Amino acid sequence: MELVNRTFRHWSLVPAVLLFAVLTLYPTVNLVRMSVSTIEFTQGGEAWSFTPLRNLALLRADEVVPPAVRNTLLFVVAAVTIEMALGLGLALLVAGVTRGKGLIRTVMILPILVPPVAIGSMWKLLYNYDFGVFNQALVALGLPPANWLGSTSLAMWSVVAVDVWHWVPFVFLILFAAVEALPVDVLEAARVDGATRPQLLRRVILPLLRPAIVVALLFRTILAFKVFDEVYLLTSGGPGTSTELITLHLYKVFFEQNQLGYGALLSLALIAAILAVLLVGGQGVRVARA
Amino acid sequence: MNIRNLLHRVLVAAGACAVVAPALAQAPFVDVGKQPPITIVTPSAPWYPAFEKTVDLYEKQTGNKVKLDVTPFVGILEKMRNAVRSGQSPYDLLMINSPNTVEFYEGGFLTPLKEIDASFDVPKEVFSYGDSGWWNAQKRWRTANGGQLMAFTPLGNVQLLHYRGDVFRQAGLAPPKTWQDVLAACTKLSDPPKMYGFVARGERGNGIRYDWHSVLMAEGGDVARNAEAGDFTVIINSPQAKNALDLFIELMKKCAPPNYGSLGQGDVIQLLATGKAAMADVVVAATASFDDPAKSAVVGKVDTVPLPAGRGGARGAAIGNWNTAVPKNLPDAQKKAALAFSRWFLSYGAQRAFAEAGGIPNRSDVYTSDLAKLPAYRWFPAYLETQKFAAQDLGYAEGSQIDQILGLRLNQALIGEMSSGKALNAAAREIEELFRKNGRKTGSLPPLPE
Repeated sequence: MELVNRTFRHWSLVPAVLLFAVLTLYPTVNLVRMSVSTIEFTQGGEAWSFTPLRNLALLRADEVVPPAVRNTLLFVVAAVTIEMALGLGLALLVAGVTRGKGLIRTVMILPILVPPVAIGSMWKLLYNYDFGVFNQALVALGLPPANWLGSTSLAMWSVVAVDVWHWVPFVFLILFAAVEALPVDVLEAARVDGATRPQLLRRVILPLLRPAIVVALLFRTILAFKVFDEVYLLTSGGPGTSTELITLHLYKVFFEQNQLGYGALLSLALIAAILAVLLVGGQGVRVARA
Repeated sequence: MNIRNLLHRVLVAAGACAVVAPALAQAPFVDVGKQPPITIVTPSAPWYPAFEKTVDLYEKQTGNKVKLDVTPFVGILEKMRNAVRSGQSPYDLLMINSPNTVEFYEGGFLTPLKEIDASFDVPKEVFSYGDSGWWNAQKRWRTANGGQLMAFTPLGNVQLLHYRGDVFRQAGLAPPKTWQDVLAACTKLSDPPKMYGFVARGERGNGIRYDWHSVLMAEGGDVARNAEAGDFTVIINSPQAKNALDLFIELMKKCAPPNYGSLGQGDVIQLLATGKAAMADVVVAATASFDDPAKSAVVGKVDTVPLPAGRGGARGAAIGNWNTAVPKNLPDAQKKAALAFSRWFLSYGAQRAFAEAGGIPNRSDVYTSDLAKLPAYRWFPAYLETQKFAAQDLGYAEGSQIDQILGLRLNQALIGEMSSGKALNAAAREIEELFRKNGRKTGSLPPLPE
């Protein structure tokens, strides 16, 4: 009877394993296969040739990749840092409010609900040099208009600002839930023991929030690496290469230039970079805990 | 029958012929009979509403059904690639942007139109648009000379120089004939931020590459020495190309808004439509919108001339047409229905209806018809004149990659990240490498001073 049960348990896993293989393993294996091939279309069909060195040579010679990698790292670090700081600050602030928490929370999550395409279009209008609200405000204050998206020194920060506007509510929601769930007796005990507000925050609240902070940080880092639509609509990577991100370059290689093999190699490089950041980040968290 | 009766009959017949003949001569529409429903994938471009109205007319006239799959410009190429690479295409007619046609021709994804019906021909009144609908597989070149008819042009976009007629008259200026005239006029008319003298697309990518390419042509430059003859020696870093780039940069820096490095098509149209630009290098597809009170503050004030000549007197305009083609992976009945619609759409009556709905007709006889006398069609002469010198650009398999390379390097030169010489040298190096990798006979010019 036990043997039958064990056999049944093993076989019952088969559908899930098959589904996993079809949906995850096959695309990944195919991506690896593409990354070592040149794919051309001729006579109405595909022609694959095994050329691993050719794609590597393309990667080495691609002059857009280095600025794209630098910009991606800058974008991820800047956007995620600001979002975490603002999200945490807002969570603590709103948790201290006695009335209207529900309304504040509802209003706060609105940016997450807006589709990225709408966000890109909306902010492009706001940033418009001649007709945008920001420049009209600057001019009304007697200041010169700013070249938000057309200046190499400002464009990246304009893009980061949009991402921050979009994703701070996400961080806020996770951390707000965690703040609301903090054990009141522990906080009370600390206060009774004479802890000041900064001490309470640094010694009690932040350590208790650490799991939620790690989750928010993890999600935001992964999503920031993958950002595409907002940047594509706002700047398309320009001016020059000042806002070129690896995802944008990947899109151009894959879809505009139709270089499927090289595009697959870039995709794998991006996946590897995200995994590396997560592994290093995870190690950092473990070290911090220890 | 006596002589009198015979004479009477002859006179009646002659009279009837006199009445009916003009109508027959015009034969405005083609009778295509009953056809199965078809689906067309089409871009949501400024001319789409006009195309939709013309398709409605087809449905009313013939009773045949047409489904339009309207897709944003950025997504349509991928939709069409997926369609032709699948078992059976969901689309019976594709609308392919001209630079992408080579990919579809070389890939063998389309049915030559005469294979569907040997009697099919594009009417002689339809502009050739640089033979973008023809493919000579042996030469790997788009040409009617030895090529097969693969597609026709539903919309022949070209750039025209749009200018504020009222502002020019007030300033005592004549419409520009050369790019130097444009520079002189824009310098005179610039009064930022109230009025910018000249605007064109400066944003990285296809925008700057396409708008600059017409200046390059006018200055006598090109990307490859003679691609049609198989000579892919890269000449993008020629003195002519440098002149063209320096001129473009000077125009933008002196006359465009300070965000010239990120100006896209929407921005350029917006600046002209709101009365903030005196001149703009804009596609003809947007021209009608400047006379639409719902979209424009300068109704009746925007006039057009062909893009100006370069220093040597040559003129250039890069054709940005769409190409309608029939996928290979379709049942014969669908192919025939697609061709029937094409035959109808290319007729005089359909093209006239397309023009009246705000589209850009592809037949010369519409441009010389009575419509040309109406103020709303005052851009007809400029368009007709442009057809004499407009040419296809980047008509080879590497076109989309070169578009990307130049789109970046030109933008870097425009925003001052590198000198024009350095930008063109970098582009030349990258393009030569691309040609070499693809087995083309290539080479390069000595580098420009950086």
